[in-house]
Amino acid sequence: MSRRLRLGVLAAGLLATAALLAAAFLELPAFGGARHPYGDRAVEASLARHTANTVSAVNFDQRAFDTLGEETILFSAVLGTVVLLRQTRGEHREAPEPASVPPALRRYGLAALPVTLLTGLYVIAHGQLSPGGGFQGGVVVATAFHLLYVAVDYRALERVRPVGLYEIGDAAGEAAYVLLGAGGLLAGAAYLANVLPYGTFGTLASGGTVPLLNAAVGLEVSSAVVVLLAHFLRQALEIEGGGERE
Amino acid sequence: MNVWLGAAALLLAAGLGPALWGAVRGAPGRRVVAQNFATLLLCLLFLLLAQGYGRPAYVDLALVVSVLGPAGTLVFARLLLGEEDRDPPGVRWLTPVVVTGTAATVLPLCVVTGPGRATVKLLVIGVLLLAGGVVTTRAVRRG
Amino acid sequence: MDDVLVTASLLFVAAAATAAVFNRDPARQAVVLSLLGLGLAVAFTVLQAPDVGLSQLGVGSALTPLMILLTVRKVRKVRRTEKGAGSGPGSGGGKRRR
Repeated sequence: MSRRLRLGVLAAGLLATAALLAAAFLELPAFGGARHPYGDRAVEASLARHTANTVSAVNFDQRAFDTLGEETILFSAVLGTVVLLRQTRGEHREAPEPASVPPALRRYGLAALPVTLLTGLYVIAHGQLSPGGGFQGGVVVATAFHLLYVAVDYRALERVRPVGLYEIGDAAGEAAYVLLGAGGLLAGAAYLANVLPYGTFGTLASGGTVPLLNAAVGLEVSSAVVVLLAHFLRQALEIEGGGERE
Repeated sequence: MNVWLGAAALLLAAGLGPALWGAVRGAPGRRVVAQNFATLLLCLLFLLLAQGYGRPAYVDLALVVSVLGPAGTLVFARLLLGEEDRDPPGVRWLTPVVVTGTAATVLPLCVVTGPGRATVKLLVIGVLLLAGGVVTTRAVRRG
Repeated sequence: MDDVLVTASLLFVAAAATAAVFNRDPARQAVVLSLLGLGLAVAFTVLQAPDVGLSQLGVGSALTPLMILLTVRKVRKVRRTEKGAGSGPGSGGGKRRR
């Protein structure tokens, strides 16, 4: 395919997309208006399935397949980063010097770690009830461990963070989502269909498969972020050399 | 239209605006102080919004800021500030502002909320803000 | 009052984003980006999208600054090593502060 032809194909695709977007934009309800046809249907569907947080109902029930795609994007992005940031030939690792941290900061770090961890788990667990869910809570959980680096010392972080275990957690979270989807097929419905009992509206166990998918995403995101930061930290603090790159 | 949303708008314009001004110019120390001010004000802002909109679930945003805000400032204190950033301008105002701001926001909210789990949550957020404010002040002051 | 809040938060986001563009040093830019993230979280919340606001808070308040500052540190270390390569091995890395 010549360069000219490729540019032509690209231009045609871009123009068609632009035309579609412009056409869709003209049909949008006015900003701040009272007419929300999509929102009304989404709210109705989420109430019918006893999920108080409509956003979670959309993410993990009505459009659960899209979320599988998003989860896979994060999974593959972290995988790519792990490959790129590996220790290459000619590089060696040196343990960084221990940090001198004032005792008050160290105490805060050690006390704030469980509180932050609990906040993250709370956000994951209440995904079907209040704002938040697996992604938001997972990020908070992963940040909690890194309080040990910013408030205590890098070696303290390394002690609570066996990277191999979190790599398994990352994969397990992704696999759990896929398998939960297959559960819908086993029950005789569609892939990722909400086949579990919906439970009592407004309780932790409500929403059928929503809390389970939420937990799978929470496991995947928290592990993925820990693995990602582990490689960033290793590159910035430990890995030395590597001058002889081609 | 209610007094909580009005207070939130005031906090956004008269609090977060100047914090942004402080964070975009000058030495790293000054910027980190401004960033710390901003996370504190943001937490109070979310509390006011939750009350103003009548949505207790929005308090979760304030809870998350109260734990992640200090973590963010500690990241900057560890990786951005050096010996030359000791005692940056404005740092001595951090603790007084944290104490008065938290008290002036959390206590009225507790009074309106009345006894119960929601009030305990508000008090937890207040305590987290105070502890985070005091500790980040010391970390930033050290450079 | 809703309109005032929406307008104020959008103005804050526009100002913070512009300031982030005009700050050229990546380490200092990280501070401005963190404030931009906070502003976005407010904007999402006053537009009644607290889920998105919470995502923005989670990623923007500690995680993104940490990743940017670690990257800056690594790049500076590599540059130092390359500069010091002429004067023999081991002279490059320098003393890491922490």
